[in-house]
Amino acid sequence: MISSFGYMTLALAFLLSLYGLVILIFGLIQKSQAFIESARRALVLIFPLSTAGILVLVFLLLTDRFDVAYVYSVSSKEMPAYLKLTALWGGQEGSLLFWSWLLSGFSLVFSSRKIRKESDLFPWAMLIAFLFLIFFLGLNVFLATPFERFWHFTDGGRVLSVFQPLNAWPLTPKDGQGLNPLLRHPGMIWHPPALYLGFVGFLIPFGLAAATLITKRRDGRWIELSRTWILIAWVFLSLGLVLGMRWAYDVLGWGGYWGWDPVEIAALMPWLSATALIHTALLQKKANGFQRWNLSLIILTFGLVIFGTFITRSGVLSSVHTFAGSNIGPAMFVIMGITSISGLGLLIYRWRDFGPAQEIEFGFSREVLTLFSNLVLLSILMVCFLGVVYPIFSDLLTGTQVTVGPAWYESITGPLFLLLLSLMGLCPLAAWGLTRVSKIRQGLTILLPMSLLVPLLIWLLGDVNDFYALTALWLAGLAVIVISWEYITAVRKALSRPDVKLPGVLWSPLQRNHRRYGGLLVHLGIVLMSLGIIGLEGLQQETQLRLEQGESASIGAYQYTFEGIERFTEAETTTTQAVLTILDQGQSEGALYPSREVYPNLGMAVTIPGVKSKLSLDHYAILVDWQPELPDEATFRIFVNPLVNWLWIGSGVLTLGTVVAVLPKSGKGKL
Amino acid sequence: MIQSTEQAFIGTCNKVFDMTDENKKGMSSNQLKFIISGGLFLVAVVILIISATRGTAEFFMTVEELQQSENELQGQNLRVSGAVLGESIYFDTDTGLLHFTIAHIPADEELATEEGELSKVLQQAVNDPDNSRLEVIYEGAKPDMLRDESQAILTGQLNSEGVFVAKELLLKCPSKYEEALPGQAE
Repeated sequence: MISSFGYMTLALAFLLSLYGLVILIFGLIQKSQAFIESARRALVLIFPLSTAGILVLVFLLLTDRFDVAYVYSVSSKEMPAYLKLTALWGGQEGSLLFWSWLLSGFSLVFSSRKIRKESDLFPWAMLIAFLFLIFFLGLNVFLATPFERFWHFTDGGRVLSVFQPLNAWPLTPKDGQGLNPLLRHPGMIWHPPALYLGFVGFLIPFGLAAATLITKRRDGRWIELSRTWILIAWVFLSLGLVLGMRWAYDVLGWGGYWGWDPVEIAALMPWLSATALIHTALLQKKANGFQRWNLSLIILTFGLVIFGTFITRSGVLSSVHTFAGSNIGPAMFVIMGITSISGLGLLIYRWRDFGPAQEIEFGFSREVLTLFSNLVLLSILMVCFLGVVYPIFSDLLTGTQVTVGPAWYESITGPLFLLLLSLMGLCPLAAWGLTRVSKIRQGLTILLPMSLLVPLLIWLLGDVNDFYALTALWLAGLAVIVISWEYITAVRKALSRPDVKLPGVLWSPLQRNHRRYGGLLVHLGIVLMSLGIIGLEGLQQETQLRLEQGESASIGAYQYTFEGIERFTEAETTTTQAVLTILDQGQSEGALYPSREVYPNLGMAVTIPGVKSKLSLDHYAILVDWQPELPDEATFRIFVNPLVNWLWIGSGVLTLGTVVAVLPKSGKGKL
Repeated sequence: MIQSTEQAFIGTCNKVFDMTDENKKGMSSNQLKFIISGGLFLVAVVILIISATRGTAEFFMTVEELQQSENELQGQNLRVSGAVLGESIYFDTDTGLLHFTIAHIPADEELATEEGELSKVLQQAVNDPDNSRLEVIYEGAKPDMLRDESQAILTGQLNSEGVFVAKELLLKCPSKYEEALPGQAE
């Protein structure tokens, strides 16, 4: 009963969005404010309806209603309540409903007072929101509804349906299948919603950009209205990517964090174009140009969001991320086509109306460096896209499918990421317009030599000989030094004013110019993250060997001793856990507990690495093989992963920086 | 000095691109600087892409295709997909190498995505004794999903004995999650 109620709320939300669209189009044709207002009310109502729908599903999950097919497929009695809750986005139908719910929430923003005041942009932006609401709610209602239940007939036939078919009886399985054990990890629990928030968050900027193109409004108001939303979507997208990395590092157990899987790339691509957009949005303000560029970038970003959704949900590509047996592929393909073709068409149609206003002078200025960073970001994007479509095109052109793997991506994007790293070090030294020579001189005589100490010290003390890694560490060091220098200079300037006190003055740059210093903090976060990536890509050491109890393996100065194996059984799992103690030049450093969990009911096993994490490095071990017949022997793969922790720390700094940049200026209470 | 070098450079570029004063109309030297430096950067990226593709691109083949041209393919980067034979899986504790055999899957059926279809394809591949088979060795942990009738996607090279030495191992399983209806009722 309650599941039918959930279905009805979604159906109602769907009908309401249809009504909204129709009445809005009437309003736009007849220029009737009353009709547009009616559409706005419909839009506002969709959110509580979809919220009711999602609450019903949560209720069904928490109360173990296994007669509902979705609950049966992702939940089980023994799962703890928080996992039952997160099973909401553990499968295709539920995550689509979650997506629609976020969409309706973000659509609500279109009727916020700030946007409503722009009476020309507002109705068109609302139109975009309705179109996507109709599409995704339509999927929830017709193609992938989470409220279908099991029914059986007296002759033994079975059927899936929301409502009771004639002569059919409800069928209630004793227990559900349970959430895929690989997904039962904090990283994986928060990875999907963070990514979805990031993806759906671009709806608002996209809607405003489309409205801008339609109404030919040239004052760049859309980008001011979108700024906060672009940053929020971007930071969630960043967090979604990092959480995915963390999950891969903690659960998948191959010692890595990123595998250049097409689906990972599909999430990285909108991140790259959105990052480019954030930078050129600044140029639009400073140089009063780049209107076309920014409009193109937001359309590209949203197009890539839909492309990414299509790839994950259609089953065209196979990977750990895709949903098995998907029937929404064709529908997703259609919406992808419509979005990109109409976006591109609109852009071309209005191209001349958004011509350049002011030319940028070539030279060492922040404008030119920003543009260059855009070029690098988009080149990485292009490489990613090429890698994803390469197999398809090589097959069409030559008849043999040629694919590219991680080595291909790394060898091309590696130098490009290094360029980005160096730009983050150089950019603060350049000024808008003309750069003062004194500042460059300061950079060349003090900061650059200082930064060279970084690789030198690491080379001498840390026994690192890899040239590529040393170069990367040097560039990261330069960026950290320049950013810190900028900050110290700003604090010193603030100290020269009479009314300041010491502890408070440390935050003053963040308060006085929160956009600039928030941005620098984000850069610092990314540079710190790059340390972790350099550590894993360039400095990782590993060994695989079989140990008898009491025997040791060593990597460099570290010695790992196999102390023994334990087995224990919990509700759903049987765990085999090994103990490896770590010695660093004779000093004890604790122990590693790599394990293997077997889920007999699911016929699945999960290998959990043992990790001992420090700021300088992680000890990371995987239990490769162990047989009950030979209980005193086991095979391990042991890694020393330098600097990995900075990948996670950096993502925290990045989030903090974005918060600083988004928050209204303190004290004034003004947006 | 700097300016004259710059002018000379632009002059050369004009010659190269045949930009006489008439057809260079509307393009300032400032814009030209942007276009040339951007263009140089993009050329560098394209060179990177081409060299990476030469060095690391992998040919995607079926087991049958692989065995037909075994000799030519030695030393090439290859990617092959097949159905895993359960009884062939063996972890050599002395060498730390994982051994198993995969059976040929027809190229057009590899992309089977419909519910239950993949498991049928894999089952057929494993149970047909006439099917081409390929021995594989892989250095690394035995993945949790490696079992009978799973689909293995391997990247690596053929060695001189015709054994596939896999560097990467990706697995797909027709799991019970694909079953649409529960088997047992209350």
